[in-house]
Amino acid sequence: MTLLADKDERFKNLFGKAMLFILFAVVGISLALLWTGINKGAFSHQSSIYFVADSGQDLNVGMPVKLSGFKIGKLSRLTLDEHGEVQVETSIETKYLKLIRQDATVSLKKEGVIGDGILEFSRGSESKPILKSGGKVAFERASGLEQAVLEVKERIMPIIDEFKVILVDPQGDVRQTLKNLHEIAVGLRETQQRLNQVLGSVDSNLNNELQPLLHSLRQSAANAETISLNLDRNLPSLLSKTDSSLENIRLATDSLNQAVQQTAPQLPGMISEARDTLGKTREMVGSTQEVVDGLTTSWPLNRSVPALETTPIKVDSHD
Amino acid sequence: MTKLYLLILVAFLTACGSPTPRLPSVIQQAHTLDKEARRAQQTGDLLRAHYNFTKLLALQQSVDDTAAVAITQLNLATVAYQLQDQPAAFAWLDKIILEQAGVYPKEARLTAYFRKAVFLANAQKLTEATLALQSAENLCEQKCAEYFGLKVLQARLLLLKGDVKNAHALATELSKQSTIDSTELANAIRIQAAAEEKLALNTEALKHYQTALEMDKKLALSSRIAEDLLGLSRVASTLGKSEEAVIYSRRAELLIHSKAKTISVKPDQKE
Repeated sequence: MTLLADKDERFKNLFGKAMLFILFAVVGISLALLWTGINKGAFSHQSSIYFVADSGQDLNVGMPVKLSGFKIGKLSRLTLDEHGEVQVETSIETKYLKLIRQDATVSLKKEGVIGDGILEFSRGSESKPILKSGGKVAFERASGLEQAVLEVKERIMPIIDEFKVILVDPQGDVRQTLKNLHEIAVGLRETQQRLNQVLGSVDSNLNNELQPLLHSLRQSAANAETISLNLDRNLPSLLSKTDSSLENIRLATDSLNQAVQQTAPQLPGMISEARDTLGKTREMVGSTQEVVDGLTTSWPLNRSVPALETTPIKVDSHD
Repeated sequence: MTKLYLLILVAFLTACGSPTPRLPSVIQQAHTLDKEARRAQQTGDLLRAHYNFTKLLALQQSVDDTAAVAITQLNLATVAYQLQDQPAAFAWLDKIILEQAGVYPKEARLTAYFRKAVFLANAQKLTEATLALQSAENLCEQKCAEYFGLKVLQARLLLLKGDVKNAHALATELSKQSTIDSTELANAIRIQAAAEEKLALNTEALKHYQTALEMDKKLALSSRIAEDLLGLSRVASTLGKSEEAVIYSRRAELLIHSKAKTISVKPDQKE
């Protein structure tokens, strides 16, 4: 006796239908696996490349092997040999072997600053032959962030220690400099006070100086008045002479214009040279002054140079 | 032994060649300003001299060199007087004279009084000039370098006041003395001649004007030579030597004329 009504049309060939459904599912899963395997390179031809590492640290089976940023294989096996060295086998897709030369190196790097470790192949020299399957390459560990930090620490720590010594040492440059700065600050206050005194005295001296100048100005004004009167007398004759002089000046100006037009192109160069010469002359005069000063204070020339006068300008009873 | 001599010679040469110690920059600057100011005063560039002496004074005051300050103030008084600015000249001298604390050296105060007396005498302020001269004489106590000059000024003041006899006596006494200051000696002889002229001792006056003229010529003092020539002209005229008088007068005229030209170009530093 059957549990279900065999007479129902929907249950006819039920087993066949189920088997067909399972078959489709198995075929679909197989195709998906095949597709994934093809994509992952599971069916591509692999070549083994070997290298020796000093330590297995950060090396893991399955870690990607890359060339120019593209994955070309993976680390397939790690073994420790009798010398304590780590023998590493990588599986590289054979089609990529032609891009790698025999002097290529493989280095252990981090993907990003704190990413996973990867093995990165370098291309090697173009002049070298292509790397063959089963070949060996050199291995190196690229300096990561940790190592860089350690290097920086190793360099900075001695400097900090030296700084501590310099700062603490009472005879050290820093302490001495601070002491000198303090002395300079005190000296500056004294200099300021002296400057105030000097400025005060200069102020009063200038007042004294202005008086003679004003006196001279008054005299000059009186002279100017006299000159003005003379001009009134002599002006008519002067004007007639001026007319002829102006004509002469016009002629002279024409000649000058011609001369200037001829020499104008050379003027910038001449001015530049003149400036240079003037600068050099100033330097020379300064140097000469120093030399002369030095000579005049040295024997035997110092005997022929008059000594500094320490008496007032001589005035007698009739001056 | 020869090596020893050679070593000593090398040591001496090294010592000679070693650089002399440098003065502080303020003092070096002061020396330079002093030289420039004196040179400007000698060449008649009085405004420049005044400017440099003023700067020098500020420097000297900044380093508290009171002796040098006094000398520079005396020089400023001289230059101001030569610039025809008598009030400023007296003001500079009074800065030294009226200083009560005894900051400035005695010699500087003496010189200040002496100059004030000369300037006052030139301005015909004879009483004040006499007072200033007495102050100078009190400080001098007959043993200062300016003693002879003070006495000559005394004779000059006596003559200006009209005390001809005493002026003649003092000037005669001074002109007989031996002194290294030939300018003042010539001044004394000129005063003697002027007193003799007023006393109608014309022969003696002529002789002494001649002596003064020769001395002033040696000293190349134009205004004094003109004074001597004019004195000679007056005395010669009194003595009836009119031709000589005209010649002396003309020579004085030419000299004054040429001096006026020189002044218009470059003022003479001495007169």
